[in-house]
Amino acid sequence: MAIEHLHDFLQNYFTAHNCELVHNQDGILTVQLTEKMDRALMNRPFYWHYVKSTGFAGEPMKLTLITNPDRRDDKGEWIHFGSPRLQQLFAHLHDNEKFTKLFQKIDTTKKTALYPWLVINIKISYIGKQKRDEIISIGLHLVNGMMKTEMMEYLKTIPLQMTISDYCFTISPLIKVKSGFKRIEAVLENYIENQTYEWADESLKTLNEEIDLLKHFYSDRMDEENLDNKMEQELNEITNRYQPHVLFNVINGGIFYLTDDPTLTIQ
Amino acid sequence: MSKIQLKKDTTFIEEFLTNLDNEGPFSSWELFQMNYQAEATSMTPTFNGLRALDYLPHVDFLPHQIQTAKQAVEEMNGRAILADEVGLGKTIEAGLILKEYMIRGLVKKALILVPASLVSQWAKELNEKFYIPAIPYRKSYNWEQVDILISSIDTAKRSPHREQILDINYDFILIDEAHKLKNHKTKNYEFVRALKKKYCLLLTATPVQNRLIEIFNLVSILKPGHLGNYETFLEQYGKDRKNIKQDAYLKQLVQKVMIRNTRKGTELSNTSRNIETVWLDFTEEEKAFYQELDQLTGTFATFTKITLLREICSSREACFLSLKKMADNENANSEIFRSLMSKIEELPNHSKAEKVVEIIQRNSDEKVIIFTEYRATQLYLQWYLQQNNITSVPFRGGFKSGKKDWMKQLFKNHAQVLIATEAGGEGINLQFCNHLINYDLPWNPMRIEQRIGRIHRYGQEKDVHIYNMAIRETVEEHIMNLLYEKIKLFEQVIGNLDMILAELNITDIETELQTIFSESTSTGEAKIKLDNLSSIIKYTHDSTVSEEKQYGN
Repeated sequence: MAIEHLHDFLQNYFTAHNCELVHNQDGILTVQLTEKMDRALMNRPFYWHYVKSTGFAGEPMKLTLITNPDRRDDKGEWIHFGSPRLQQLFAHLHDNEKFTKLFQKIDTTKKTALYPWLVINIKISYIGKQKRDEIISIGLHLVNGMMKTEMMEYLKTIPLQMTISDYCFTISPLIKVKSGFKRIEAVLENYIENQTYEWADESLKTLNEEIDLLKHFYSDRMDEENLDNKMEQELNEITNRYQPHVLFNVINGGIFYLTDDPTLTIQ
Repeated sequence: MSKIQLKKDTTFIEEFLTNLDNEGPFSSWELFQMNYQAEATSMTPTFNGLRALDYLPHVDFLPHQIQTAKQAVEEMNGRAILADEVGLGKTIEAGLILKEYMIRGLVKKALILVPASLVSQWAKELNEKFYIPAIPYRKSYNWEQVDILISSIDTAKRSPHREQILDINYDFILIDEAHKLKNHKTKNYEFVRALKKKYCLLLTATPVQNRLIEIFNLVSILKPGHLGNYETFLEQYGKDRKNIKQDAYLKQLVQKVMIRNTRKGTELSNTSRNIETVWLDFTEEEKAFYQELDQLTGTFATFTKITLLREICSSREACFLSLKKMADNENANSEIFRSLMSKIEELPNHSKAEKVVEIIQRNSDEKVIIFTEYRATQLYLQWYLQQNNITSVPFRGGFKSGKKDWMKQLFKNHAQVLIATEAGGEGINLQFCNHLINYDLPWNPMRIEQRIGRIHRYGQEKDVHIYNMAIRETVEEHIMNLLYEKIKLFEQVIGNLDMILAELNITDIETELQTIFSESTSTGEAKIKLDNLSSIIKYTHDSTVSEEKQYGN
């Protein structure tokens, strides 16, 4: 689910933050920021402090972003996957869009039950000599304990909103959120345990080789002071560099109330 | 599984529970999904490959630079000696490696140690080209506060900085001009060994000079024990670098931690150097003065005499200033000096300046850089070019970095000519210019290499034209014929000179030349000695070039 069209992404981002799109043509997008977004993105706290202290409303800036590389010399900022501006937007999303509670939108006149799902999006990093990431999106039915992976892909296909639709009601969870989270963690741990570890074995091999080299290096140098400290430090460096480990990092998560859908089968 | 540590995320669920208790705030579906997309976009899906390339679409990397970065990350695990020849983009390679580690989240805290004169240039390059927020060290900073700091090693190793720095666990250390660390008994070496580091890059254009133990010392910073321990290494290989070519095993070991690209092996050789020696004659008046100066100063120390003669070949002003200084300091000969000074004042414009104007006007659409050894000449040329409606800007090593940047911008956008003195040679890159005039030739051929390196380097898209100015029947003719042309300096030796001089145990060729002139009783004797020197340089070059190919890769 990586971003395919940066321009659409930016358009959606600013629309979701209630910023008006002033100009939007040929890969050039000009948006009128709101005060909130100006404060978040434009890095001018003194301006806002000054304006507020003099009692005026202040004037949020316009921002022009260029996604079309052929037009990058136009007035505005050329934005691409490595540009600081996009990294700033990513960081802003990362900090603010962690939690949610959403309801499936249904047009009905019949009483309809919505079942609670705990959805967790998690980044797993495998770190040995090098590093690799994997993102897993997993959902847990908080009533019957059913689990589903690629949950975000599924959620993309149904309409969601922040309020519950008419004639709908929610079923109370039988599994508490905290123990639900623990179940998900356990499944992921199991998933990791069942993998092959070539990357970790290689890293351990290098780790041991370099430790042997280091010991040999110091074997004849008993004349220097603080020798043990130095060797200890270098041993630590080698260990830090090569000790294989796995990191869990939750991107975001939420409670989703969904209708009973037979296509959501047990994984 | 037991051998792999697992670190779980403990904060998320606590925050989420609080958030649910407080009934929000909750993200909309759009923004929730966008955060997920952003993460999916920035993650690193494979162990290998360079993610950084996707992040830097505005930089055109050369194939050897990408290859070097890949090798340093994937095969050398982030500890490497980058030993490309001058001008092939070691900074670019290092920036790419650092960027890769930052994108992968493996480096947060980095220390970049470079010569003081290059600090701001490194900062600029890393910020503008790589979007790496590297900051030059300032007095008010705490070493702990800033994540990516650039400093000179001299500042860093001084108390109290030293103690603070040694307390920090760095993820990444970079040392530019690392050949200065070749001696393990120096304070610098000891300091660098003591740094706590994860990844480490050593940058140098001249990795091995004459002693093999130097490479042992460099490698020991990165990978202690890789070349054995000190005693066994000395025993096995001795101190002579010649052993490196005899020992295939040692060569192989060195290649595991060192990458060396040469001009020949890369695409840079596509832009060639056209070198033209511009011979000219003094006018009759100038010739007369030159001869008078030569005769009248006959009784002086040879060095003083040579200096004055070289100066008059550059400009009347340069010579005049020296004469004035001598007249003020030396009572005995002040009469001679004063009479010479009054004769200089009568001379018309300098022939060389006229020739330069001719060259510049011939290339009226091109940017030209002129190097001179003398500030007086620099000022004179500026004035003289202006008289001929040629726009120029001055450049000196003593300029503050802000002024340097400003002058460079002025040159790039508004002026046709940049006139630089020697000290301006280091630390500016002028790839947008491809004509270079050596207005007077320095005695030290290394300086010529640095001068040419300013324009003939990574990023130069056109052929480079170099003009060497020399006046017939003067001291310049000797230097040109004996030193430069004989060793085919411009065509062949450049790039290897450092190594050759080290091989010959000549630490400073300038001193060597001064000695030749000051210890010679006649011009003829000086000529013979110069001739000998260039013969030996040429001989050493021919025998080392083949050897050069034997180590590094």
